[in-house]
Amino acid sequence: MLMPGRVWFLIVMLAGGFAAVGYAIYGGRLPPADFTFVNETEVASIDPALITGQPEGRIVNALFEGLTRLRAEDTKAEPGTAEKWEISPDGRVYTFHLRKDARWSNGDPVTAHDFAYSIRRLIDPLTFSRYSYQAWYIENAKRYNLGSSTLQPGDAVEIELNPPAGATNTVRGEVLYGKLIRIDGPAIKEKANDEKETARERVFVVQIDGQEHRFQAADETQPVANGVERCRQVLLDFRQVGVRVIDDRTLEIRLTNPTPYFLELLGFYPFAPVHRGCVEKFGKPAWTLPQNIITNGAYRLVARRIRDRVRLRRNENYWDHDHVRLNVIDALSVDNRTTALNLYLTGMVDWVTVPPAEVLREFLKTKPPRNDLNPAPQLTTYFFLLNTTRPPLNDKRVRQALALALDREEITRVATGAGEIPALSLVPPSMPNYTQQPCRPFNPDAARKLLAEAGFPDGRGFPKLEILYNTDQAHQAIAELVRKQWQRELGITASLRNEEWGSFQDSQQQLNYLVARRAWVGDYLDPNTYLDMYVTNGENNNTGFSNRQYDKLIADAAKEPDQTKRRQLLESAERMLMDEMPIIPVYYYVSRNMVRPRVRGFFNNLQDTHPLHALWLDPNVDDRSPRPNEYMEPVK
Amino acid sequence: MPTAVPQQTELTAPPPVKGVSLGQDAWRRLRRNRTAMASLITLVIIGVLAFLTPLLPLAPPDRHHTDLQYEPPRLSPLVSKTFQLDWAAINRTSTQLDGVQDKNERRNILLRPYREAGFPDVGLVSRWMIRTRSHLFGEWTLGSLAGRDEFGRDVLSRVFWGARISIIVGIVATFVSLLIGVTYGAIAGFVGGWVDDAMMRFVDILYSVPFIFLVIFIITILGEEHTKARLEQMGIDRITIFYFVVGAIYWLTMARVVRGQVISLRTEPFIEAAHSIGVRRTRIIWRHILPNLLSVVIVYLTLTIPRVMLFEAFLSFLGLGVEPPDVSWGLLANEGIKVITPVKIYWWLIVFPSAALGITLYALNFLGDGLRDALDPKLAGRRNG
Amino acid sequence: MSWFIARRCLGLVLTLWCVFTVSFLLMRAVPGGPYSGERKLPPEIEENIKHRYKLDLPIYRQYLIELGNVAHGDFGLSMRLLDFNVNQVIGQGLPISAALGIFALSYALVLGLSAGIVSALYRGSWADWLLMSLATVGIAVPSFVIAGLAILLFVFAIPVFPAAGWGTLRQLVLPAMCLGTLYAAEIARITRTGMLDALSQDFVRTARAKGLSHLAVALRHALPSAMLPVVSFLGPAVAGILTGSVVIERIFAIPGLGWHFVQAALQRDYTLAMGLVLLYTLLLYVMNFLVDLSYGILDPRVELK
Repeated sequence: MLMPGRVWFLIVMLAGGFAAVGYAIYGGRLPPADFTFVNETEVASIDPALITGQPEGRIVNALFEGLTRLRAEDTKAEPGTAEKWEISPDGRVYTFHLRKDARWSNGDPVTAHDFAYSIRRLIDPLTFSRYSYQAWYIENAKRYNLGSSTLQPGDAVEIELNPPAGATNTVRGEVLYGKLIRIDGPAIKEKANDEKETARERVFVVQIDGQEHRFQAADETQPVANGVERCRQVLLDFRQVGVRVIDDRTLEIRLTNPTPYFLELLGFYPFAPVHRGCVEKFGKPAWTLPQNIITNGAYRLVARRIRDRVRLRRNENYWDHDHVRLNVIDALSVDNRTTALNLYLTGMVDWVTVPPAEVLREFLKTKPPRNDLNPAPQLTTYFFLLNTTRPPLNDKRVRQALALALDREEITRVATGAGEIPALSLVPPSMPNYTQQPCRPFNPDAARKLLAEAGFPDGRGFPKLEILYNTDQAHQAIAELVRKQWQRELGITASLRNEEWGSFQDSQQQLNYLVARRAWVGDYLDPNTYLDMYVTNGENNNTGFSNRQYDKLIADAAKEPDQTKRRQLLESAERMLMDEMPIIPVYYYVSRNMVRPRVRGFFNNLQDTHPLHALWLDPNVDDRSPRPNEYMEPVK
Repeated sequence: MPTAVPQQTELTAPPPVKGVSLGQDAWRRLRRNRTAMASLITLVIIGVLAFLTPLLPLAPPDRHHTDLQYEPPRLSPLVSKTFQLDWAAINRTSTQLDGVQDKNERRNILLRPYREAGFPDVGLVSRWMIRTRSHLFGEWTLGSLAGRDEFGRDVLSRVFWGARISIIVGIVATFVSLLIGVTYGAIAGFVGGWVDDAMMRFVDILYSVPFIFLVIFIITILGEEHTKARLEQMGIDRITIFYFVVGAIYWLTMARVVRGQVISLRTEPFIEAAHSIGVRRTRIIWRHILPNLLSVVIVYLTLTIPRVMLFEAFLSFLGLGVEPPDVSWGLLANEGIKVITPVKIYWWLIVFPSAALGITLYALNFLGDGLRDALDPKLAGRRNG
Repeated sequence: MSWFIARRCLGLVLTLWCVFTVSFLLMRAVPGGPYSGERKLPPEIEENIKHRYKLDLPIYRQYLIELGNVAHGDFGLSMRLLDFNVNQVIGQGLPISAALGIFALSYALVLGLSAGIVSALYRGSWADWLLMSLATVGIAVPSFVIAGLAILLFVFAIPVFPAAGWGTLRQLVLPAMCLGTLYAAEIARITRTGMLDALSQDFVRTARAKGLSHLAVALRHALPSAMLPVVSFLGPAVAGILTGSVVIERIFAIPGLGWHFVQAALQRDYTLAMGLVLLYTLLLYVMNFLVDLSYGILDPRVELK
C-alpha cells in the first residue's frame, strides 16, 4: 500500500475537502420559508431606479411602496404610502398626503422629502435609469433627465460640484443655483464613432448671485483653463421640475399634461422611494445588501443568495402590516423551465410563473380540469421587431410582406401551449376603453406581390434574414416556425441567433439585429404604454422607426383632455403603426401561472401582477381541494 | 468513422521487421478480438450510412409537418409517396445563375430547390446524391419509424443527418489535436533538457487557461452580428470555428501524456541498449518509441473523439452548438431532453439520438481497447511466451 | 524542492498576468460590448457616464488602472448583477461549486478506481466486460441526458431526492452523482489501462515471481504506478468538474460558479468574466502543481526540479 506519509497527505486532502462541503452546506442554511415561488431568472438589481424586468418588479414591489400601490385584484391604484390625494380640476396637479404611520424598516418616518429625493435620483442622468422616461410626465422632468443638452441661455440651472473626496459614490456634490448666460466651446453634434468627444470640454457661463462663474465638467485632477471652475454636471434647476415638498407629509406633483393613468404609474416600481441616509451612507451598490438596506414596503430583505434565492420577511414597521399574512417568502431564481416545473410538481414551490409550453398543453387536456391553472387573457403582446434602419427592412413593403406571410395560427397551435390568441395588433384586446387597430391577416399571395414590388420577385435577391431571440425553448420554437413560414411563402432564407437576456437587450438597443422577438407587458392600463414606445428615439423603440406624424399623434394624445378624442388619436396612431409595420404582432399572452389551491389572494389580473403582500395560505385547503381559490375564479 | 481507422493503422506501419511487421501482427490480433471487430464493423456501417444519408429514401430532415406534432413512432405506413424535389427549379438554376456575380446570391439560387424540399444547406456531392435518390426512389419515403418532433419533423431522418455533422466534428477536431499533441509531446520528451522544460512550461501555462470558458467566449464574440456576417462571407461558420478551437484545446493532454510515455520509455532497457549499440536517434524514435507510444495515443484518441462529440452536445445545451437547419446528435439529444417532463415523455426524441451517439462512442471505446491490446508488443510477448 | 516551488510561484504570476492581458484585450476588442454605450443618449450624458467609469482614458491607462485593481484583488462591480461586486459573486459561488465538485470527485474516484482495478484484475471476464460497458455509458451519453433521466428516475419514479435547489445534503447527492458519473467512467477506464500496463511491467512480474499473492501484487506494486495516469487526469478533471458542472448546476438550479461562468460569457459581463477567468487560472495552476507534486510522491523515478 501507500507509504504512511502519503496516507497522511491523502487524509489531509480529504478532510479539507469535506470540511469545505460541510461549510458550504451548513454555513448558509436557512430555515424553510412559508411561501416559495419561482421568480424566473436572477434579479439584476433591487434598486428601484435601475430595474426593468418582471422578476425584479416582484421583489421591489414587496420591498418598497410608492405613493400608491396596485390592488391585487385588478392592478388599479389604491392608497399606498399616501393615504389620500387631491387632483386639480385640470388634471395636472396632484397633492399627496402621506400617512402618519408610514415608516421605514428602521423606524424613520417616510416623508415627502424621501419621495422628492427618489424622483430626483430617478431622473438624474448619472443614475442611468432605463425607466427614467416614465417620470417625463412630470413637468420639466424630461429636460432635467436629458441634462445640459436641453439647456438654453436664460434657463435656471443647478451646478453639481464634484463631491468631496472620500464620499461614497451616491453622495451628490454641493449644488449651486444660478442662471445660464451662455455655453462656450465646441458645439455638440451627432458624432461618428471614432470622433473625439468634446461635450465635456464645454464651459457653462452661469450667473450666481449677480456674479459670473465659468464651469466645466472635470475631475479635480483634470486640467482646466484659467478662471474655470470644475464641476460634475450642469443640469436644469431641479426646482423647475414639478415635484414640490409642501411639508413633511405633503407632496405636490405637477404634470405637463393631464395623464389619466398617472396614479397607476406611481404604483409602478421606478417611483418607489429609497432611504436617502442608507443610499448615501453605503454607496452603490452596497446599500442594497441585506445588512444595509432600509425599505418601506410590506417586506424587508433578509438574504440574497445569488442565482439561488431572495428571502423576504414581513416588515413589522409597515403601516399595513396587520394585513400582511405571510411571514417569510423565498423567491427562487431558476433559469430552466423544466426544473421550475419539477420543483412545483414535487411540492417545493407554491407558484411557478412560466411552465413549459408542452406541459401546459397536456395539463389543459386533463379531465377534470386542473385546479391550479387558469389561462385568462393578459395585457401582454408577443411581437417581432424589425430593424427599419437597414435594407431591406427599411422598405415598408418588405415589412408588410413579412407580416402578411406570418401564419400566426400555426405558431399558437404548435409553439405555445396555453391557448394563446393570435395577434393582429400591438395593443391587446383586453385593453379597456380602446378598440385595437388590426393589421392585415395571413395572406401569402398579397405578401408575395408586395415583395415583388419591392424588387424581390419570388424572393430572388433577398438577403438572408436573421431572427434574434433570447435563449429560451419557446422563443426558439416560434423563431423556427417563422423561419420556415417565410421560406415557404416568400422563398427567403432566415437563420436564428440566440443570446442571453442581457446581451439580447443590448443588441436590441444598439439595433444590432434584423428581426428580433419581444414581448411587452402593459405598465399601466392604457394603450399609451404600448404606443408611446415607437416615437422617434423612444427608449423602448429599438426599431429605428421614426415618423413625424406618429410622434405628433402621440404627443397630441398626451395633451388631449377629452377622453374620446384622446382615444381616437391613439387609435389612429396604432393604425399607422400597423401600416408601417416596424413591428409584427404575433400573439397575445394568457396567464400561465400555476398556483397551489391553498394560495389565496392571488388574482388573475391583466398585467400578471401579483403583489406578495396580498397573498396568504389557507390552512384548510390541500392540493386536491375542489374549492377554487381566487386565481381559479372565472375572469370577468 | 471509416476514415479514422485506416489512418490509425497507417501510423502503425513502421519499416518492416524481420518476419511479420508490427502492423500485420496487430491486425492479426485485432481480428481475433470479437468485440473490437464488432465495434469496427459497427463504426464502418455508421460511417457509410452517414455518408450515404442523402441517397437514402428518408424524409428530408428540415421538413415541417406541424399537424403531426410529436407523433410517436409508427410502422405503418412503412413507406409513402411524399418526397418532392422540384426538378423544374433545379433545371432552371443554370439559366438563373447566368450573369449573377454575387456569391451569396448564386448560393441561394443553387440551394433553393433543396431548401424547399426540406434539406439543410448541403454541398455539391450531397446535392448530387439527393438528385440520384430522387431518380432511384422517386417520391417514395420511409415512414416516421422513429416518431416526429415538435415541428413534425422525422426523427429518424434527423438522426441520420445528425450523424454526418457529429462524426465530422469528432474526427476533424480530434485529428487537429492529435497532430499537434503527438508532435509536441514526442519532441519535448525525446529532446529533453531545457527544451523539454520550456515546452512543458508553455503547456502548463496553457493548461491553466480555462478553455471551456474561452470557447464559449470566442463563439459568443464571433456570433456577434457584424462579425458573424463577415465570417460568413469568408465561408466560416460556427462549426468550422469549433473544429479549430476544440482541436487547439485537446492537444494539451495528448502532449503531456505522450511526453510522459516517451520519458519513461527512454529509461527502458531496450532503448538504452539501442542507444549503446549506436542506433541513430530518428531510427530509435521511429522504430521503438513510436510503436510503443501508440497504445497510449490510441487510448487517448478513443477518449478524445467522444469528448469532442460530447463537448459539441454541451455547447448545444447552451445554445451555442450547430445552428438550425443543421442538426447534430448533441442538438437532437438536447431537443429531446428539453421536452422531457414528468408530465409527458416523448421518449423517442431522447432515445434515438442518445442511442446513436451512445452506440458510436461505445464502439469507438471498444475498438480503442481492442487496438490497444493488439498494438501493445509487451502484452503480445506475455501472451506468446 | 523549494526551487521547484519558487519557480512555480513565479510561473503562476506570469500566467495570471498573461491571461489577464489577453482577456483584457479580447474584451475591449469586442464590438457591441457594454463599453460601446448601450443606449442612445445625449452626447454629454454619455461622456459623463464614460468619465465616471474611466472609459474616456486612453486604453493603456485603463489597462494599468485595471491591472492595479486586479493585483489588489479588486475586480470591480459585476455588470449584470448590478448589486454585487465580483468578489461577492465569487465568494458566494465558490464554496458551493467546491462542495459539489468534491462530492462528485470523491464519488467518481471511489467508483472509478474500484471498477478499474477489478476490471484489470479479471481481465476478459464478464465482470470486466460489464464494468467497462457501464463505464462507457458514462462516457457515451451527454451529462444533460444523464441528469434528465436521473431526475425522472430518482425524483418522480422513485421519490428519494428533491428535484432541485441547494441547501441540504439531500439536495447535493443527486447532482453530485450525475456530475461524478462521467468522471467515474473515465477514471475506471484509465485505471484499467494503467493497471494492465503496470501488471505487465518487469518489477511486478518480479514481485509475483517472489510468490506474493495476486491481489497483494496488484495493490502494493501495480497500483501506485497505475495511479499515475489517474493523477494526471485528476488535475484537468478538477477544473473540468468546476466548469463542467454548468449543465448540472443549471438543471438542478444550484447557484455555483459554473453557471455564473457561462452567464458571464454569454451576457458579456466583462468584469465578472475577468474575475472568473483569473480564478480558474489560479485554481488550474494550483491543481496542476499538486498533480506534479503527487507525481513525485507516487513515482520515485520522477525528479522534481
